[in-house]
Amino acid sequence: MATRLKDVDAVTVGLGWTGAIMARELTKAGLNVVSLERGPDRIPGEDFTIPAVRDELRYAQRLELMWDNSIDTLTFRNFGNEQALPVRRIGAFLPGEGVGGSGIHWGALHWRFLPSDFRIRSALAERYGAKAIPDDMTIQDWPLSYDELEPFYDRFDKTCGVSGRAGNLRGRKIDGGNVFEGPRANEYPNAPIKSSNAGLMFADAAKSIGYHPFPAPVAIASSAYVNAEGTTLGACEYCGYCNRIACETNAKASPNSTLLPTLRLEPRFELRTRCFVTRLNYDKAAKKVVSVTYTDMRSGEEFEQPAGIVLLTSYVFSNVQHLLLAGIGEPYDPATGKGLVGKNYAYQFEAGANAFFGDQELNPFWGSAGMGVCIDDFNGENFDHGGLGFFGGGYLACNTAAAPPIAGRTVPHGTPEWGSEWKRATVKWYHHAARFNTQGSVYANRANYMDLDPTYRDALGRPLIRLTYNPPDNEFKMSAYLLAKLEGVIKAMNPTSYDMHPRPKIFTVVPYQSTHNTGGTMMGADAKSSVVNRYLQAWDADNLFIQGASVFPQQHGYNPTGTVGALAYWSAHTITTQYLNNPGPLVHA
Amino acid sequence: MRKVAGLCFVAAVVAMTLAGGPGAAADAAHGKVVFRTCAACHSEKPDAIGPSLRGVYGRKAAALADFRYSNAMLRANLVWDDANLRDYLKDPQGKVKGNRMPFGGLSDGNDLDDVVAFLKDYN
Repeated sequence: MATRLKDVDAVTVGLGWTGAIMARELTKAGLNVVSLERGPDRIPGEDFTIPAVRDELRYAQRLELMWDNSIDTLTFRNFGNEQALPVRRIGAFLPGEGVGGSGIHWGALHWRFLPSDFRIRSALAERYGAKAIPDDMTIQDWPLSYDELEPFYDRFDKTCGVSGRAGNLRGRKIDGGNVFEGPRANEYPNAPIKSSNAGLMFADAAKSIGYHPFPAPVAIASSAYVNAEGTTLGACEYCGYCNRIACETNAKASPNSTLLPTLRLEPRFELRTRCFVTRLNYDKAAKKVVSVTYTDMRSGEEFEQPAGIVLLTSYVFSNVQHLLLAGIGEPYDPATGKGLVGKNYAYQFEAGANAFFGDQELNPFWGSAGMGVCIDDFNGENFDHGGLGFFGGGYLACNTAAAPPIAGRTVPHGTPEWGSEWKRATVKWYHHAARFNTQGSVYANRANYMDLDPTYRDALGRPLIRLTYNPPDNEFKMSAYLLAKLEGVIKAMNPTSYDMHPRPKIFTVVPYQSTHNTGGTMMGADAKSSVVNRYLQAWDADNLFIQGASVFPQQHGYNPTGTVGALAYWSAHTITTQYLNNPGPLVHA
Repeated sequence: MRKVAGLCFVAAVVAMTLAGGPGAAADAAHGKVVFRTCAACHSEKPDAIGPSLRGVYGRKAAALADFRYSNAMLRANLVWDDANLRDYLKDPQGKVKGNRMPFGGLSDGNDLDDVVAFLKDYN
């Protein structure tokens, strides 16, 4: 029998980026907020410093900051007619666990979606005719515009001290920034971080072809920056230990470095770690989530925490699993196309390339993971898809930096994978290898979704989330197009040799690709087509606000975190300015 | 306020001259700007990465009881005077080899002078 605790104003299920933003904004508005985090606390003064950090084996290989699969995992299958099997050790994607969530180990690429991304179905219909959109492509317009979200993108930029160069300042196009981006009200808080040698070569080559290179926007401060919370972020030291690892100079933005220093001192905020929320307790008649049940993972004791507002701020998989377990909304059925919870799952389609420059010293050991030079000429509706046979796109990047001692040994195709010849090749090429990526969109497809696994359960007895996913043909065509464009730039860089790496036709959950899983609780204009409204409020429970990339109707050709943070600020703003005065549905169905 | 700041400045200049510093040109106000990079880790918040630097000038190295210093810093046996602060901030690993501060050092001599001038009165 769960011990029933005293009522609180609001509870966050998880404490990563969205949990920290919501807790900060709601405590500022005078609410008492409890954050329930299933993992351990992660404190910069202890966990982001020597001897813990600068350890590729511990963090990048053995994945210490990631989802603990001894307690909980997902099951996976490519197609609906297969038996899904549990993923015993995550690989393709690496959700974080513990205070800060994935916001500690991320590569810190900090993007905004294009204005046309927010109305993609309408934009495609206007440009190519409604019939051009395939029947199984279940894309939807977002229920808000870029212009509405812009002030909240701006706020999140200023929380993180993002470094970059504007390419569109209030409609004025600026060479050297991303001229394809939507209009920004303000320049980036910090100047771009440095570019690697390979990045500069990529920029020259791209420019020679007529493309528009610019430095990747990153939530890594290029110089010391005081954010809106009064917390100082440090300048990047270009140490090379970044991706999958905590930042030891507070330059790479994490919830822990940007919001928690203030939040931890806030008397209205309470953090409970190792508290695993197992259930949302849903009153269907009242359309409310009345409480959450959690297990204290240290003692096994169960507690029920009643709350006025429930903020579902866990990772995509857990958000969807919680709704399915609680019976909130109708589960999606791919056979009939009915139901919405679990629908429109998408996963960033990335494909890369390596190039080798025998006579060029590229110094790949320094830098940050996100550091790179990009072109956005082939993203979304930045180019004409007429006659191409696919929709979508992505940005192209040269991100040769922070090549670590174990995983940073890029060798030409055909080199043995082990043994003395491999060792010789790693020594020969380490300083001369450049790496590239294409960050492709995935336009949602009817066959890809999440539901509850009928067979496998987690350590607490709950059915695992089951993922059914294989990239649609549209995405393979899109990716082949991006790789051909990338190959053109690489050739113009005049390498000794290069290898293009198209993705295999059958998706596999083993090699790392990205942690950009999206969809399952998508946002939309009405209850017939979405799980949450434009303010991220569940249509079926007005005190439940679902945060994170699970609300994306599809995945566009950018890393998701910039939009995840902006949406959290947008949602928090509406809660504090409208919902608190008049609790109830913010949009009438 | 202006008077107090002026007095502090005079005090700083006098102190520097007495300590045989690199001249009277140091600008503590600019040092405060340089110090922002340090402030990202060196704050008084409980989750801070680095120890508080309030009152560091003239203090023994590794003197705060509530901070877990590296063994290198515990063994350093330094007093943070002008010369030691300057040498350390110019090349942290060169001055105290094996310390765990992840900072490459200040390469600009004026920045060094100014931040040391700022730290003198940082209490």
